[in-house]
Amino acid sequence: MSTIGSDRELRLAASALPPAGEIRMVELGRHRIGLFRVGDEVHALADRCPHRGAPLCSAGDVVTGIERRPDGRLELGPAGALVRCPWHKWDFDIASGECVVEPRLRVRRYPVRHDGDDVVVSLDGGLDRP
Amino acid sequence: MLIDCDIHVGYESLLDLVPYLDGPTREHVLHAGSNGLAMPSYPWYHPTGWIRKDAYDAAATASGRQIPGQTLPTLQRLLLDPFDVTYGILTPDEAAAFSIYPNAQLAARLATAYNDWLAERWLQEDARLRGLVVVAAQHPEAAADEIRRRASDDRFVGVFLPGGARAPYGNVIYDPIWRAAAEHGLPVVVHTHFDGVGLSSPVTAAGHPDTYAEYHVLCGSGMYGHFVSTVYSGVFERYPDARMVMSEGGVVPFLGYLWRLDTDWKACRSEIPHCRRLPSEYVWDHVRFTTQPLETPEDPSDLWPIIRHLRPERTLLFASDYPHWDFDEPTHTLRLLPAEIRDAVAYRNAGELFRLGAPVPL
Repeated sequence: MSTIGSDRELRLAASALPPAGEIRMVELGRHRIGLFRVGDEVHALADRCPHRGAPLCSAGDVVTGIERRPDGRLELGPAGALVRCPWHKWDFDIASGECVVEPRLRVRRYPVRHDGDDVVVSLDGGLDRP
Repeated sequence: MLIDCDIHVGYESLLDLVPYLDGPTREHVLHAGSNGLAMPSYPWYHPTGWIRKDAYDAAATASGRQIPGQTLPTLQRLLLDPFDVTYGILTPDEAAAFSIYPNAQLAARLATAYNDWLAERWLQEDARLRGLVVVAAQHPEAAADEIRRRASDDRFVGVFLPGGARAPYGNVIYDPIWRAAAEHGLPVVVHTHFDGVGLSSPVTAAGHPDTYAEYHVLCGSGMYGHFVSTVYSGVFERYPDARMVMSEGGVVPFLGYLWRLDTDWKACRSEIPHCRRLPSEYVWDHVRFTTQPLETPEDPSDLWPIIRHLRPERTLLFASDYPHWDFDEPTHTLRLLPAEIRDAVAYRNAGELFRLGAPVPL
């Protein structure tokens, strides 16, 4: 992978992206960022759990939620849509950054755009203010 | 300064203690079962993992063990160094099960081996580390011998007893342990562990919980039993130099039990003549509480108005419970407390209790 343009963006080739269910760590300036693929979408999250500061991406796990249907049967949520904090095991929705068990908490997300076959992660145009 | 009163370390397998065992015990341990001796364990598994995932790597679990052993470099990197821990008091993982293992004589020998292992593999390697003497509580005389054996080694600063037990620790069968600990000024640390496993009773009188989640909410129950038992049975009257730490039972429940101790004593004291004073007076003089797991009300400001009644400026000791999943990060815990008591909780209370002076290099 290589940094193109300013030090505010990181361009990655498709081959550098993680497969679904895995996390790939990158650094952009002083930011440690975890890359995720959920379905066809690529997401970038800060490597810091908003609960107590744990290394959410570098030590966390991609998991699938288990939900109870109104009829009492159990079913799986969207595959690999959650990242589980390595310390206290709280789950966060990768796409929205929201904590599943504490809605007031959200992990910082970084904008991701597609440019041809590449993906560009940016520090600017933030989805969430730090 | 920071004294962390609850840092868990453990061996990879009971077989790691083999070099520290006498010949006959070694022979038994190596050939028991299909793959060597193992201790009884919990009927539930933590649904999302017992241990902080950054505290171990895939190699540590390659053998299929549920509780990966810890390493000193990881402990130093994740806790001792970043949080500037002055002293870390080590508590056992699986070795806590020795006290609820039915074969009391074997358990006593395993405890001796564990303490030798702890001294050589941990206490000798980092001057900040201190240990608790693990004993077989179900064999009180052997436990007392083990306490006396370690008493001259000032790297051992207390005695460890698990919450899971055959009987509450105020029962007179345990007097040899209290006597030995008091003689040598070693606080007895009663720590939530293996409640409902082996020899111990179900974690509550309601019976065995179905799930780990239920169990964990209730897991301080053993400790509450020991808390009430030791005070009402007069342990601190019989052994005025005895001191006890309630470790990993939370904080808030003890306040309710403290008030009930005082209230019920007024009507029932003819049954418990050895509890001569108002029970809370024994608690202030003889009992301390670790902070973890610190209760987390919806509004954090609701915590202090409650726990202040436990006189935390004297009774509270910081504990992280590293590397477990409900680890309390030191700066967060201390930030929840008024500034005027943070030093007391961070190190002064523990320093006085465990007689920890200024740190010296190895």
